[in-house]
Amino acid sequence: MNNKTIPHMPSPPKPFYTRIKTWLVLAVVIAIYAWAFSGIPFTGIKQTAWQITKAVFNGLFHPDWNYVYLAEGEDLLRGLAETFAIALFGTTISVFLTIPFAIWASRNLIRTRLFSGASTFTLSLIRTFPDIIMAIIFIKAVGPGAFAGVLTIGINSIGMLGKLNSEAIEDLDMGPSEALKACGANRLQTIWYAIVPQAIPSYLSFALFRLEINVRSAAILGMVGAGGIGTPLLFALEGRTWSRVGVILLGIIVLVTIIDWISGKLRRRLVQGKA
Amino acid sequence: MIEFKQVSKVYPGGTVGLNNIDLKIEAGEFVVIVGLSGAGKSTLLRSINRLHEITSGDIRIDGKSITSAEGRQLRVMRRGIGMIFQSFNLVKRSSVVRNVLAGRVGYHSTLRTMLGLFPKQDMELAFSALQRVNMLEKAYQRADQLSGGQQQRVSIARALAQEAKIILADEPVASLDPLTTRQVMDDLRRINREMGITTIVNLHFVDLAREYATRIIGVRAGEIVFDGPATEATDEVFSAIYGRPVSEDERLGGRNVEAI
Repeated sequence: MNNKTIPHMPSPPKPFYTRIKTWLVLAVVIAIYAWAFSGIPFTGIKQTAWQITKAVFNGLFHPDWNYVYLAEGEDLLRGLAETFAIALFGTTISVFLTIPFAIWASRNLIRTRLFSGASTFTLSLIRTFPDIIMAIIFIKAVGPGAFAGVLTIGINSIGMLGKLNSEAIEDLDMGPSEALKACGANRLQTIWYAIVPQAIPSYLSFALFRLEINVRSAAILGMVGAGGIGTPLLFALEGRTWSRVGVILLGIIVLVTIIDWISGKLRRRLVQGKA
Repeated sequence: MIEFKQVSKVYPGGTVGLNNIDLKIEAGEFVVIVGLSGAGKSTLLRSINRLHEITSGDIRIDGKSITSAEGRQLRVMRRGIGMIFQSFNLVKRSSVVRNVLAGRVGYHSTLRTMLGLFPKQDMELAFSALQRVNMLEKAYQRADQLSGGQQQRVSIARALAQEAKIILADEPVASLDPLTTRQVMDDLRRINREMGITTIVNLHFVDLAREYATRIIGVRAGEIVFDGPATEATDEVFSAIYGRPVSEDERLGGRNVEAI
C-alpha cells in the first residue's frame, strides 16, 4: 500500500498536564508506600523461630484427639456447639432487628430523604464498628460469656443485612404496590401484600449468608471472652499446647465447611425458586 | 358518575399534563380514551383514583370529591375503583387467588388482612370473579406461571373482587398479542354490560377503540379534542386527535395481522 493513501491518523490527545497528573499520582502513591513501610518496625526473626515453627506444625499434624470429647465437659464438640449456637441465635436476632432498618432505609418506600438518610447512616455506623470492639464493650456490659457474643453478632449483623435488604427493596418491581394502593390498601397492607412476598427470597438468602459469616466471627469472638470455641483456642495458644491448637483449628474448619455447604445449597434453591 | 370540573395538572417541570378539563362520565359507560403517548391519557385516567395528583380543579365520583378526600376516606373511595395496568402488576410469587384477594384488603383491618383471615364471602367473591374471567382452574397456581393474557384476566378478577363500580384500564392490552388482546377486551366489555361497571380504557389502537367503545374521548396536549359516540369517530377524527394521518401500527387489524 502506498504511503500517500494512508490518511493522516490523529494521535490521541495527551496534553502536557495529563502527563504531569499521571506522574503526580504515581509520586503520591510511592510516598504513601514509603510512609507505611517506615512505620513498621522490622525486628528481625528470632533465633528460636525454626524450633517453634517445627513444634507448631508437629502439633497441627498430630491433633489431640482426646480433646474432641471429654466426659467432664469443656471439650471441642461442646465448644463448637456453643459457637454455632451463638452464631445462630445472634443471626436470628439481627434478622428481626433488620426489618425496620431495611424499610426505613429504602428510598422507594420512605420518600422523606431525611428519614431514609438517618437509617442509612445508622447502618453504615454499625458496619464500621469492628465486631471485636463491640464484643469487648458488651463483655463490659453483661460480663464474659456466650450472651455477650450473641449480642455482638445480633447488633453487628444489622449493618450488613440492613443495607443489603434495603437495596433489594429498592430494586423491587413497584407495580404491585401501585396496584395495592389503587385497591384502597393502607401503607402496611401495601408493604405486606406487594413488597414482602417479593422481598422474602433475597431476605432469607442474605440471612443464610450472614450466618456463614457469623459462625466464623463467633469462633474468633471467644478470644476476647465472648464465649464459644475461641476461648479454649486462646488458652491452648498461650499454653503452647500445639496439638490442642491443631484439633481446635481442625474443628473450626469442619464446622465452617459444613455450615457453608448447607447454607450454599439452601441459597441456591431460594435463587432458583425466584426465576 | 365521574365529574371533572376545571381540572388542570402541571408537572413540576412546567409541562402541562391536563389543561382545564371538564368532563362527565355516566354510570355504565364504556369509554375509550385515545391520543398519542404523552398526550395526557394516562394522567387523565390516573387522576380519577388519585394515583396522580391534580394541581387545580375538582374530581367527583358519585358526587363525592376524591380531590379533597384524605386518609381513610380516600382509601374507601379507591376500593370502589378497580385498576388494570399495562404490566398487570400482580405479585408474581403469590398465588392467583391471593392476588385476587388483595383486592379485598381495603375492606378489612390491617391486622386481619396481614393474618390472611378473609371471611368466607370474600373467598366466594374471589372465586366467582375468577370464574367470570375463566381462570378458576388456575386459582392456586403462582401468578408468574401464567401467560400475559391470563395475568391480565387475573388482574380483572382482582378489580371484580373489589366490587368496584368503576374500572380504569391503563393500556391494558399494550403488552399482549392480538389474539389475547381481543380476549381481554371481550372480558372488559362483558363485565361492563353484565354488571354495569363503568369502564374507562386507554388505548392506542384506533380500530379497537371503535370496536369496543360506546364513547370515545380524544386527548391532545392535555385537552379533550373529541368527545362523542364511537360511530362518529372516523379516520378523519382520529387524524385530528393525533395531529397526523393514522399510521398502520395504530391498527390492531384482523386476527392474522401481527401487532407491533
